[in-house]
Amino acid sequence: MRFADARPDGRAVVYAHIQADPLVLSAAELLAAATTTQRLLARAAMNGESTDAATWRAMFPALFGPAAPGPDDPTRIRSEAILEVSLQVADRGEQARSQYRGAIVEALTERLVATRTGPVRRERRILFDGRPAEIHPYDVTVEGDAAGEAWDCKWGARGIKADVIHQLDDARRGAGEDEARLVVGLVVFDARRSCEVRMVRERGAVALEGLKLIGLESLDRLAGRKPA
Amino acid sequence: MPPPTVADLVERTLLGFDALAATAEAVADEWQYVTDLGTVWKARIRAVGDARGTEPAPAGAAAAIDAVVAEAGRITDPHRAIDWLSTLPQVALAAVGEPA
Repeated sequence: MRFADARPDGRAVVYAHIQADPLVLSAAELLAAATTTQRLLARAAMNGESTDAATWRAMFPALFGPAAPGPDDPTRIRSEAILEVSLQVADRGEQARSQYRGAIVEALTERLVATRTGPVRRERRILFDGRPAEIHPYDVTVEGDAAGEAWDCKWGARGIKADVIHQLDDARRGAGEDEARLVVGLVVFDARRSCEVRMVRERGAVALEGLKLIGLESLDRLAGRKPA
Repeated sequence: MPPPTVADLVERTLLGFDALAATAEAVADEWQYVTDLGTVWKARIRAVGDARGTEPAPAGAAAAIDAVVAEAGRITDPHRAIDWLSTLPQVALAAVGEPA
């Protein structure tokens, strides 16, 4: 088993600009240290219609209500910052914000995994001798000497499709045949309940036991810590 | 008018969810997924009503659920409505202090 750079294509060139956008990096940085409720705020606001911050503050009394931390509290400051960047993403328009959201989930995953292990890479393929190479790269990989990891990142549960599950399962089986250690999984910025519903319908003949699923509530597991 | 109970908020959430599902059903290829989401999320929300229905709603929860249901009502794109079938219940559950 070995890792390799993805083949460059037009889509990747365009997408690289979004991945490097300061808004993506800022959102990922804020969300890496966020609570589950703050991440839920980001998910809702980045995918909403309203651009009025007051609407979103009303929706999350635990973050902004009378019993929430005060305006000078670091948690409250983070909540306000997350709301601000989320509304900036929402303001990009339907086509662009879809790409921004995907890039944010990837960047967030990279940060969380990097606090636990390394080296962490982006957009890499995994090659096995005697097996045809997969076309699509994995969003985030860990390329350690002793063990590897391959993560595909999705904004929502609806992004879990049969081809995604099959590619991860192929990598897992290829590693097994090479007697290499490889953890494969999906990171989805959505509720685990919705992800499970989707996976059961899309899995086909794939046994899901070998596939890790990290939902919005358990993102901190990527960093090796309990949810905040 | 008496303060709302958790059961009242469960009812409002379910009505909002059904309206959203009606928008989402326009995507024929995702009919099964929309149906599955309805099955699991409505069961989760009803379970909260069964367990805590008579409790007064937590502070801010009624306004939160009115806000999230109103936001869901603004969504006319069926693809985004599918995404919100997962988001709306999470936000509503958080408002009443429940995990997803």
